[in-house]
Amino acid sequence: MSRANLDAAFAAKKHHLSPFLVLGDPTPDISFELAKKAIELGATMLEVGIAYGDPSADGPAIQRANLRAIAAKATTPVALGVMKRIHEAFPALPMNLLVYGNLVHARGFEAFVQDALDVGASSLLVPDILFEEGEQLREVCKRLGLGHAELAGPLTDAKRLKRLASTIDAYLYLVAFQGVTGARTGGSDAIGELVKRTADRIEVPVCVGFGLSSAEHVASVYDAGARVAVVGSHLANAIEAGINAGPLGKGKHVVAAFEKAFAPLAETVNRYA
Amino acid sequence: MSHESSLMPRKGAFGAYGGRYVSELLVPALDELEEARKTIVRSSSFKREFRETLREWAGRPTALTYAANFSKRCNMQVYLKREDLLHGGAHKTNNVVGQGILAKRMGKTRIIAETGAGQHGVATAMVGARLGFETVVYMGARDVERQAPNVKRMQLCGATVIPVTTGSQTLKDAINEALRDWTANLGNTHYLLGTVCGPDPFPRLVRDFHRVIGKEAKQQWADRVGGLPRAVVACVGGGSNAIGIFRAFLKDHDVDLVGVEPGGRGLESGEHGATLQKGTPGLLHGARTSVLQDEFGQILEPHSVAAGLDYPGVGPEHAHLRDIGRARYVSVTDDEAIEAFETLARTEGIIPAFESAHALAYAMKAVALGDYEPGTRILINCSGRGDKDLDTYRKLYGHRIGGAAQAKGTES
Repeated sequence: MSRANLDAAFAAKKHHLSPFLVLGDPTPDISFELAKKAIELGATMLEVGIAYGDPSADGPAIQRANLRAIAAKATTPVALGVMKRIHEAFPALPMNLLVYGNLVHARGFEAFVQDALDVGASSLLVPDILFEEGEQLREVCKRLGLGHAELAGPLTDAKRLKRLASTIDAYLYLVAFQGVTGARTGGSDAIGELVKRTADRIEVPVCVGFGLSSAEHVASVYDAGARVAVVGSHLANAIEAGINAGPLGKGKHVVAAFEKAFAPLAETVNRYA
Repeated sequence: MSHESSLMPRKGAFGAYGGRYVSELLVPALDELEEARKTIVRSSSFKREFRETLREWAGRPTALTYAANFSKRCNMQVYLKREDLLHGGAHKTNNVVGQGILAKRMGKTRIIAETGAGQHGVATAMVGARLGFETVVYMGARDVERQAPNVKRMQLCGATVIPVTTGSQTLKDAINEALRDWTANLGNTHYLLGTVCGPDPFPRLVRDFHRVIGKEAKQQWADRVGGLPRAVVACVGGGSNAIGIFRAFLKDHDVDLVGVEPGGRGLESGEHGATLQKGTPGLLHGARTSVLQDEFGQILEPHSVAAGLDYPGVGPEHAHLRDIGRARYVSVTDDEAIEAFETLARTEGIIPAFESAHALAYAMKAVALGDYEPGTRILINCSGRGDKDLDTYRKLYGHRIGGAAQAKGTES
């Protein structure tokens, strides 16, 4: 079961770099190519999202990525199909699925979790089903064997953090900024302190995302104790630049722009054990 | 669709609806607001300031009007609760006054709001000016164009209007954007949500600020008419004016509560906003409620000639009242609403909002439908006035006005 991929990855290697890709952005085929390229460059985990028309926790870059995937008709089954291709090509790769609650709710919890397992998902994070409302979904994940992650933010207090962590069996996704997703510049010190404080308080692996856009950001979250750095908006911006660079075709420009944005970050992680 | 039928919300639930379906990052803001609801809102000094502001600034109580001529057209006895006479031109003012005073007492310096047609945005801008807030209103870019006069009103009151260019560029996207702003600025900012939707505690908070509508109407009815109305009728988009008037009659089981949804071009056309009749359970803007969505859970764009009813979700309490059978939800089409809009203007000299015209349109056909006997006494919430709709009316239906009106309204 793919849940084991995540445990194996954490056991094998301390620091992981995980691109976030909206499945189907800009097309299902190109999004598969992007996943391949990311792994070739050194990604050791993948965070994937199913496009949603109302992504209220995301900033402009990821919102546009969602809309591009929707325009490319990347419905839930199509997105899961892309995951399946990735899983078949890289059977040991942990794939962490991030999906808005209404898509999970519309399918039914049990059916959705089973679908995710069938295409090789290791874990599930639903950013808008709050911990207090998540008991039923957590129960289904646990019963069927899909890893379960929770979000925490800069304002999540110690007591709540421990409560969240006590139910997690995948990782804690720490949002590095109080706000929505978006590539930011500067601010490494504040992120570092937050990550350290969080990682010190809980036992489960800490994954940091929301706004990491440079090798320096990635290095600073690793140094502070994070096991996974997720890069999303920075790559969505690159995909957009690639789309604007020329005809879409088989995605030559998009893959090139993606590589240019991701390679320097991948080099950082390769320096870490 | 095989939606998750077993999901039961925990926080602020109305049966199987409500809850808090938001990101963890909003928890501090929602907890703070819930605490303020329990302490500040229940304090006597808050209640006094709320009551006084509604009376002296907003013009409460509003009248109860017997619409004698319109009654003949309906073959019923129709009484109107005149929220159109409230400052700002709609019931919306009740809620913004309540939340505005609350935000002030919570020490916030900035308020943000979403708006579709612009009515809630205008109301928020008004209260922002009166209470000295920095006010920011998110409005879909398409709505900014369609509702230019309201944009000017908001700006005149000192608010900043930010056009939202993402998604479908309408109300639902404006709410998404306001949620994003709030997440990033929750220290100094209160999100002044405009209807009985959203994560707990908003549905209860907004409802309680609108309860004054039903409370007044019930007393006025007892004083003037005696007894109780046979039915209380209100339009339902998000559902705040309806909850506001229903609430006082909830335990009076002889009183029918009737919510009128926007049937748009007809329920079978797919172009409507009849969330309670055609929606399915889903998670939208922080609550589990009845939602217009496709089989995969993508939110659909609703349609109504009344911009204030043009919303793909509905207050979770309405979904609950429907399920338990305490309220009944019906719909009227755009054309029926426009006919009622014209009829009330011609028979009573009252120009209702397109939204309120939906409730009136139901009254015009209720006897013919066999829902009520001729002569039945009913109470309708005339939730707003129609000045804001005149441009739209002239463009879409101008040929129906006699005399000087332009046939097609192409001069604009």
